[in-house]
Formats: sequence, structure tokens, C-alpha cells
Amino acid sequence: MEKLGLNLGYLLVQILNFAILFIVLRKWVYEPVLGLLDKRRQTIAQGLEDARIAAEARANAERDAEKIVAEAQARAAQVVREATDRADAAARDVKAAADAEVAKAREAALAEVAQERNRILGELRSQVAALAVAAAQKIVGETLDEKRQHALVDQFFSGIKAGKVTLLEENTVTGASAEITSALPLTAEEQKIIRGELAPALSSGAEIKFAVDPGILGGLIVRVGDKVVDGSVTGQLQGLRQNLK
Amino acid sequence: MTGDIVEAAKFIGAGLSMIGALGGGVGIGLSVQGALEGMARNPDAYGTLLTNMILGIAFSEAIAIYCLVIAFLMLFVL
Amino acid sequence: MEKTRKWRYGINRWIILLLLIALVVIMVFVPRIQPHIQVAPENVSHGPLFSLPVLGDFYLTNTLVAMVLMDIILLGIGYAVYRTIKKGDLVPHGLAGAMEALLEVIYNLTESSAGKWARKIFPYFATISLMVVVSNLMEMLPGVDSIGVLEESPHGNPLWVMIPGFMAAVVQGSAEHLGEGYVVVPYVRVLSTDLNFTAALAVVSVAMTQVIGFQAQGWRYLIKFFNFTTLISKPVFGLIDLLVGLLEIISEFSKVLSFTFRLFGNIFAGSVLLFLLGSMLPFLQSGMMLFEFFIGMIQAVVFGMLTMIFMSQATHGHGAEEHHE
Repeated sequence: MEKLGLNLGYLLVQILNFAILFIVLRKWVYEPVLGLLDKRRQTIAQGLEDARIAAEARANAERDAEKIVAEAQARAAQVVREATDRADAAARDVKAAADAEVAKAREAALAEVAQERNRILGELRSQVAALAVAAAQKIVGETLDEKRQHALVDQFFSGIKAGKVTLLEENTVTGASAEITSALPLTAEEQKIIRGELAPALSSGAEIKFAVDPGILGGLIVRVGDKVVDGSVTGQLQGLRQNLK
Repeated sequence: MTGDIVEAAKFIGAGLSMIGALGGGVGIGLSVQGALEGMARNPDAYGTLLTNMILGIAFSEAIAIYCLVIAFLMLFVL
Repeated sequence: MEKTRKWRYGINRWIILLLLIALVVIMVFVPRIQPHIQVAPENVSHGPLFSLPVLGDFYLTNTLVAMVLMDIILLGIGYAVYRTIKKGDLVPHGLAGAMEALLEVIYNLTESSAGKWARKIFPYFATISLMVVVSNLMEMLPGVDSIGVLEESPHGNPLWVMIPGFMAAVVQGSAEHLGEGYVVVPYVRVLSTDLNFTAALAVVSVAMTQVIGFQAQGWRYLIKFFNFTTLISKPVFGLIDLLVGLLEIISEFSKVLSFTFRLFGNIFAGSVLLFLLGSMLPFLQSGMMLFEFFIGMIQAVVFGMLTMIFMSQATHGHGAEEHHE
């Protein structure tokens, strides 16, 4: 022990020294450092918690924002759709009105044109008759009674002979409506005669339309209901051609 | 004469006691072998293996150090 | 792409080269001194400082000087850390920051092994590690183990050999002793080469292990040593348990021896190696110094960590451990 240097006194000195250092270092270093570590750990945990809460809040806010945007978009789409519908409806209305107006104007114009044509044709009728009489005189070579000539011509065009419609005498017709086509416009008198003739054949309240088609040359085409009686010159000529064949 | 014999016996004893360092050497070799194999198989564990290897080396080295202490005691104390 | 540094004729390498050359010159021209190796710490003071009735005379030994130096260093560091942390920064800088990082590592190590008892165990671990590392690394200081007084010794060198040597010496003694043997007794010797220091640490470590064991388990801690619990229920195994418990007592004492001689042996062997290399091959001593630096730190960690492991084992308790297995 002597030579090893182990000595109870020195051993106690060293143990005392350790105790002093232990106590002082624990007071000065370990406790403050451990407190610091704890505080830092707490701060970091707090920071993480805060960050988590903030992230959650942000996620919520984002979700809300998405929802709001989606709602706004839906609203906007709806508004646009409604506006489009309304605009479409308005446009349709306007167009329909315009169409109606145009149609009315065209109808009016057509009616006017038809009236004008009828008027001109009506004016022409007497001249045509005169021309026809003159031509016939030239051809036949004798002077016909002018009054009779006119009657013939009238009969030719209107198919009315001595106050009767020749066509209706030959055929009996019944129907709900009637349409009378002539080569030249009929005079009001003639129309009245035809009306009178047709009246018994037609059911009451049926209207009679008068049309003009110079293509048929003369006579009348009467269409009552679904039946057509062709008394026109063209039709007769066609029949003649058929027979001659 | 007796003193010379005692002197010689001290040296012989010190040398003989150092035979024990053999064990420490073998132990260090084995621990390094194990650690290196572990590092080669799992390079990710390099850090922890190194630390533990050095600790193990310190422990097995202590055995050799005990022998050295005995040798010193024979040489310088007795 | 790595930048290739241009070759520069730096100054440090030339200084190192000059020092190496100087070492070789010294080795050739300066006579070798046989080193003085002594296990017991040397007395620096001539007479005893004071005497106590039972303990005997107190000399000022060179390891006591080292102890005072170590105390100054540790208390200085401790006070600096205390001042810095009291300022209230969450992240201390400088010395306090370094200490705090070191202690955090030690604390995490303790907590991973000892759990809730880490607060109690950590100061022992830290104090022992710090003391041992400071006292070990004191070996690196120039002047330690080399500056001292000349004293007569039968194993010493003659004075005419000593004087040209590079050990700074204060000649003491009269002229008529010229020619007899002298040795240098250093003023400061590494504290870990004093068996008193290592034995004190070992005793404190083992004793506090028992204290912590009692604090953790109360009187049940004694079951570890005197295990009568299974003696009646299972006579054969109970007897074995009892003997194992008695062996535990022996192992506690062997722990003291093991702690003492592990640290002492490592550092003392290192010192002897340095002495011998210094007298035979001085230029190898610097490399050996590096190794000693490494060893010194590792021994500090080993001492502290073993203390911590023994203490945390003492908190776990004998019975609980068996249940786990």
C-alpha cells in the first residue's frame, strides 16, 4: 500500500473533492442545462402543436374557400343559364313577332299583288274579248252580233251560261269547301251566280274561294271537298288529245 | 546474490504476466471482426456499431491493461 | 466539379519539418535519461503540510496539484455556463453551447437506459466523465510530468547528464551531491495516475449505486444480495439463489477494483509508454500523444457509462428483471 500510494487520507480528500465538484456542478451546470433542455423541448413541442393547429386551420379555410368558390361558380352558372334562357326566349319572341310581321307583310303584299293582277286581268278581259271577237270575225268572215259575241266570250271565260253554271249542271257535288279556278277574274255578278249555284251543294258556313289561273285558258275548275270537276279549256283540249291519239 | 535473483524474478514475472494480454488481443480482434461484419452487411448501422465497438474494445483492452498493471507493479513497486 | 487547389508552399509544413529535424538532433546529441517511474504520487513539499491523528501526515503531492488544477478548470467552465444560461437564451453560444450539447448527448444516453431515473443518475455520469476527461487530457499540456524539482534517488541519473536535458529543472540540494543519482519530480502529475483518485471515483460510483438502488426499491433492494425469498418454496434453487446473491456482494467489491485499475492502468500505462518513448525514440512520442488523447476520452466515457449502467440496473430490481426474462 505504501508503494502503491494508496492512503486513506488522500482517498478521503479525493472523495471530498468529488463531492464538492458534484454539488457545485449540479447547481451551476446540470440543473440549468436540464432546465434549458426541458424548456427547449417544450418550446419545440409547442411550436409543433401550433404548426399542427395552423395547418388544420389552413386546411379548413381552404376547404371553406373551395366550397365558397364552388357555390359561387354554381350561382354564376345558374345566373348565366337563366340569362341565356331569358335572352333566348326574348330572341324567340322577337323573331316570332318579326316572322309574323314579315308573314303578314308578305301576305298583304301577295294579296295586293293578286288584287292588282286580278284588276289588270279584269281590265284586260274586255279587250281580250274584243280582240277575240275581232279575230273570230276575221276568221269566220261574218259579223256576229256583238252582244252575243260578248256573251259567248263571257261564257267561255266564266263557264256561266244563261245564269247557270254549266259545269254544276252536269255534275253534282257535295263538300265542306269549294274552290273555283278561272282563267280570268270573275266579275262580282258571276261570283254571285256561282255562289248561288253552289249553296245547296255545300254545307252551311262553307266558304268559296275564287282563284285565277290564266294557264287554264278558259272555263272553270271547280273543286268541292275532295272532288275536282275540270271544265277548263286546257282540260278539254287534253281530253281531245287523248281521244285523238 | 539473493537480491539479483529477486531482481531477475521480477523481470521474469513481469514478462510472464504480460501473457495475459493475449486474451485482450483476441477479444479486441473478435469484437472488431463482429463489428466489421455488421457494418458490411448493414452500412446504415455504421455509427452505432462503431461506438459500441470502441466501447467493447475498451473493455477487453482493460484485461490487457490489468496484466500491464501487474507487470508494472512487479517492476516498480515490489 | 471539384476545385483543384494550387500547390502552395505553406509555412506550417516547414515548421513541422523543422520540429522533426530538431527532434532527431536532440535524440542524437542529448544524452538519454533513464525515466523515473513510480506508482505512488511524489511529494512536492519537503515537510508534511499538517498531520492528523488517524490519517497521518499530509504532503503536497503532485497529483493534489493536478486535482486543484482540475477543480479550477471545471469550476471555471461551470461558472461560465451558469452565467451564460442565467441570461436566458434558449440556444447558448460558445462554451456554454458546447457544454450543453455534450450534456444533452449524455442525458439522452442516460434516459434511453434509465428512463425516469435519468434525472438522478445523470449528474454522476456527467461529473465522473467530466472529471476523468479533464484529468486525462491534462497529460497533453506541456509541462505536466516534465517540469519539477530535482531530488536524490538511488535509481536516478547523475546530475551532469540531467542538466543538458530538456526537462526544465530547478536544482535543489547542495553541490557535494554532484555525481550521485537525481530524478525530476514533476510539479504536476496526471491525476488519473494516482490510485487514490481512481479508487475514490470507484468507491463513490459503487456506493451511490447502492444508494440509488435503495431509493428506487426501498428495502427490497437487499433481496439482490440476501435472497431468501425462494429458499422455502424451492429448496435447491433457493439455495443457489442465496449463493448467487452472496456472490453479488463480492461482485460489488470487484467492481470497485475493476473501476480503479481500469482507469489507473490505462492512463498510467500511457504515461509510462510516453516516458519510455521519450527517452528512447522522442519523435514517436507525438504520435503516441495522439493515441493517449483518444484513450483518455474513451476511458472517461467508459467510466461514466459503466456507472450509469450499473445504476440503472440497480433501479430495475432483481425480481422485475426475472419477470421480464
